[in-house]
Amino acid sequence: MSAYIIRRIWQMIPTMLGVIVLVFVLFNWIGGDPAYVLAGKISSAEQIANIRRQLGVDQPFYVQLWIFIKQVLTADFGASWSTNEAVSHILATRLGPSLTLLVPWLILSTLISIGLALAVAYVRASLTDRMVMITCTVGLSISILVYIIVFQYVFAYKLGWFPVQGWGDSFWQNLVVYASLPIIILLVVSIAPDLRLFRTFVLDEVNQDYVRTARAKGVSENRIMWVHVLRNASIPIITHVMAQVPGLLIGAFLLERFFSIPGIGREVILAVERSDFPVIKAITVYVAAATMIFNLAADLMYKAVDPRVQLK
Amino acid sequence: MIHRALPAISAAATCVAGAVLVAALAVAPARAADPDKVLHLEFYVAETGFDPAKVQDYYSFVVIEGICDSLLTFDYLARPSKLVPRAAEALPTVSDQAKTYIFKIRKGIYFASDPAFKGRRRELTAEDFVYSIKRFKDPVNHAPYESFIDGIAGLEELKKAAEKTGKFDYDRKVEGLQALDRYTLRIRLKETDYTFPYVMALANFAAVAREVIEAYGEDSNAHPVGTGPYRLKEWVRSNKIILEANPDFRGFVWNFEPGTDPRDKEIVAAMEGKKMPQIGRVEISIIEEQQAAWLAFQNGELDILHLREQFAPVAIPGNQVNAQLAAAGVWLNRITDPDLNYTYFNTTDPDFGGFAKDKIALRRAIFMSFDNAEYIRVIRKGQSMEAQYPIPPGVVGYDPTYRTSIPYAPELANKLLDYFGYKRGADGYRNWPDGRALVWRFSSTPSSRDREIDELWQKSVERIGIRLQIDKNKFPEELKRERACQLLSRIASWYADYPDGDDFMQLLYGPNSHQNNNACFQLPEWDRIYEKTRALPPDSPERNQFYRQLWRMAEVHGVWKLHDTRYRNMLVQPQVIGYKKHPILLAEYMYYDLDNSRRRK
Repeated sequence: MSAYIIRRIWQMIPTMLGVIVLVFVLFNWIGGDPAYVLAGKISSAEQIANIRRQLGVDQPFYVQLWIFIKQVLTADFGASWSTNEAVSHILATRLGPSLTLLVPWLILSTLISIGLALAVAYVRASLTDRMVMITCTVGLSISILVYIIVFQYVFAYKLGWFPVQGWGDSFWQNLVVYASLPIIILLVVSIAPDLRLFRTFVLDEVNQDYVRTARAKGVSENRIMWVHVLRNASIPIITHVMAQVPGLLIGAFLLERFFSIPGIGREVILAVERSDFPVIKAITVYVAAATMIFNLAADLMYKAVDPRVQLK
Repeated sequence: MIHRALPAISAAATCVAGAVLVAALAVAPARAADPDKVLHLEFYVAETGFDPAKVQDYYSFVVIEGICDSLLTFDYLARPSKLVPRAAEALPTVSDQAKTYIFKIRKGIYFASDPAFKGRRRELTAEDFVYSIKRFKDPVNHAPYESFIDGIAGLEELKKAAEKTGKFDYDRKVEGLQALDRYTLRIRLKETDYTFPYVMALANFAAVAREVIEAYGEDSNAHPVGTGPYRLKEWVRSNKIILEANPDFRGFVWNFEPGTDPRDKEIVAAMEGKKMPQIGRVEISIIEEQQAAWLAFQNGELDILHLREQFAPVAIPGNQVNAQLAAAGVWLNRITDPDLNYTYFNTTDPDFGGFAKDKIALRRAIFMSFDNAEYIRVIRKGQSMEAQYPIPPGVVGYDPTYRTSIPYAPELANKLLDYFGYKRGADGYRNWPDGRALVWRFSSTPSSRDREIDELWQKSVERIGIRLQIDKNKFPEELKRERACQLLSRIASWYADYPDGDDFMQLLYGPNSHQNNNACFQLPEWDRIYEKTRALPPDSPERNQFYRQLWRMAEVHGVWKLHDTRYRNMLVQPQVIGYKKHPILLAEYMYYDLDNSRRRK
């Protein structure tokens, strides 16, 4: 097991190098020269050259790339070009709000989707099953933007159940007061596709011979579904859940913008709007690293869930 | 670069201003502010920081202006905008043909307490302004507003020395920037510049204390310490800014003269004689999505809302607040922004540039194909006025009688093109006289608003048979190409830095090419006349006449197509007392009040 983990960590290095080169090329190719924005409305060529010198963007590309690699190795991405705030401070302060939103959502979404998938698989081909599937299809056909606008208008403004927007100082206030509606929206958006997918995984298992054998042996339906079927269906479910976590850190930017939540996604959009390369670099690298780590974690969980899985 | 010229501040004006100062900013006991009066505002773009030398965005300056004192400021009610003293005792004494300015700093102004002062009470002195202005030339700060003080004698040499040695010497004497004594600041300019007092009213040039800047180093953006009515209580970057009344602030008594606006008298009646500031706490939320801000305002979570164009048809149909808002006591404060939006042609472009008659005709024909009325209706949702003159209303030098010589006239445009040999080909589109396909390259950013503008221009030039090629670039890339005079055309905007026409006319001054003369327009005769205007007092009939002549010349040469000047619609809750949006002032919250009893339950 430890040999496997070490080997996987080694494999991350070329992947990370690929990410670094890709981010570097993309930014320099299409990112635009930030000096022209930072220089202000009225600026001379000399002032722009001075800013480029201070930012280091006047250096040859290979020098800039080497600086980038050193930043990744030392985990020190310097300061934001537009606000001068340390990138490490940006990440440290924006991660909390994003996790306050995403962790409860991930737990609730996974549990609800699995529970419902088992339930509808149990009554597969019935009217209930069909109605749930139709509802899911309709639900996932609607953009998250529509959910945000409608839910914010109805539940926050019209009914006054939640604040329209905002973020407080305490964790519990944020979780209970400010993050509740965004979490509900995320649940509504994510449960429909997850339920369809998980139902398929479950249905693949309920027709297997071991299920028939268990029934013949008189095992209860609850135990068959929640123990035998769920354990075998959980491998693709783990793959699905673990694969989407890192991306969600950035993907929740719409919710963060509409509800004024100071999270990572909103910061990424700001950084892109301001051509703030240090922030973009750091977040991209950390998300890439998180993706690889979550993939490794998923592999390890396969083994934990199903001992027959061999990690090679 | 040279970009300004302005008001002769005569001795008489100085006296009048001095009287205004005594009346409006008379020292009053501090701590008038009520901590229970909490004002809720919104920014729809995140701030960047609060070091006056390091930032350039509007929203950061809304905060800085409340915290730090500049030498001068603007009268809260007077329109057009009028300079009044703030940290200075009076408007400056001007001599040497507007090359020398002497400011007397008011005694007894103190910085808000901060650990950087090590427990001492720190008085504001002329040396603080010397230090604060010098910071704009320190290469480390890459100050966006550096060019505004290019005219001060000796500063450029100080910067050059710093570039050589790698260290900026703040202790070195500069000929043009000196504290004659503890409270007297003398500024000497290299050339006559009547607009310089406006620069000293910008929040950028507010005083900071050297001890504070040196104590916080690179983190100075997060530690604004000033002598103004507010101080930074809490800052969650890009999310929430909380200001509280500065207990060390000297205070002042509200006493402004009403202008011609009928609402002014109500404001004066409600505010006159009050000790200011009244509002104890200002909470600013960064709300980037207009839907969230709009709903929050209706919910009573915001006291004032800058209404964006897309919600104007719902909130202010017919430019009046809708019945629901009116019933709740919400009212509208509508002003004309001192801004200008225009499409330009790069006059140095090898195909479209130059001043040959056929090239001028082509540019004017393209401009004449565009319908500003449709632009205002579709893009602006009716929330702007068509611009006829490059100086917008409310700015010194504005001419309300001027009518453009480039109207919307597609038939005329077609005749002009036919006359100059731009014949239509078999596909219905026009070609150059030498037979090449005529394609106009128009640049814009990938935003949804710019896509709408692209479509409008596409529709316009279709009327005259010209092919349009849209070049999509990110904004920094557009600026880069523009500064290199390599961008043919785009819609540009200019928001007044200070309320004088020179701030707009300098956009066409030849030597400002590669800077902010984005049309790269260089005409010796134009430049000669413009240079004359710089030596003339603002709003003098002679300067105004020259401006008309300059703009007519630019129109004749087909350089710009003026589009519009935007309205700014501020929705105000009934509990806000004495509010009036100022076109240049940013921190108006120090001049108005809240009545909590009028809040909706």
